[in-house]
Amino acid sequence: MTTLALPTSTAALRHALRTNRQRTLTRIYQQTFPMVRRLVRQHGGSVQDAQDVFHDALIVFYEKALADTLVLTASVSTYLVGVSRHLWQRELRRRKRLPLAELADDAQELLISEALAAEEATASVLDYVAQLGTRCRELLLAFYYFQQPLEQIAADHQYRNVRSATVQKFKCLERLRNAVRSVLVETFTT
Amino acid sequence: MRLELEQLRLVEHQVLGNPSAADAAAWRARLLADPELQADVEAQQQLYRGLQAVGRQQLRQELATIHAKLYPPRRRNWVRATVAGLCRTIRWSR
Repeated sequence: MTTLALPTSTAALRHALRTNRQRTLTRIYQQTFPMVRRLVRQHGGSVQDAQDVFHDALIVFYEKALADTLVLTASVSTYLVGVSRHLWQRELRRRKRLPLAELADDAQELLISEALAAEEATASVLDYVAQLGTRCRELLLAFYYFQQPLEQIAADHQYRNVRSATVQKFKCLERLRNAVRSVLVETFTT
Repeated sequence: MRLELEQLRLVEHQVLGNPSAADAAAWRARLLADPELQADVEAQQQLYRGLQAVGRQQLRQELATIHAKLYPPRRRNWVRATVAGLCRTIRWSR
């Protein structure tokens, strides 16, 4: 059996997430979720609560790893359990309607709130991305969000080479921009 | 590439790439002089933020799929459930 060990350097981790996202995330999930489940259940939460905070923690982790801003002082699991613990404390305070002020001083709280705040910001573009059609949407997400290597994107999406995948990506971006723009123009002229 | 696509590429390089310090300074000067370009840049940044949000939604779905694969919902064994139910009924009817 191949070893279950995850890459320990952030560079290797980033590479693994970019090139083999599903397998890397599955391994991390398998290693860490039982710990988060135990933690949340010990502190008055359900399995569903554990799943919710764990997914938020994974998203923070994933985006930081890809942006190269992840600082790991211990293992990936330790990091994720720490963020999950924090998120669960925050959720408990919210449920008891306690002020979040105490948590807000915390460096980790700032880090997490900042990371998850962007979510509501751009609801309007979301609909246009949904209307783009599968091929364009997948290409844009693979490039901008999942940051897969260009060679892999070209191969996965059956483009002749990196260059034609890049041109196609800009064409898709243009289509998205035009869709958003036409609506903006309509709103201003009516 | 067409001119419009080249323009998208240029803005992308300035916004997401790693332009050199000199490059970035020249770009800032150009932006100050060209409000139309400024609006284009703002629009393009909005697209990137939107894509970030959509990507995150997709990642959430992928995590839910991973969870469902690792921990498939346990289906109650219906035979055992029926027998347990019958036993309860018999006990109550006594």
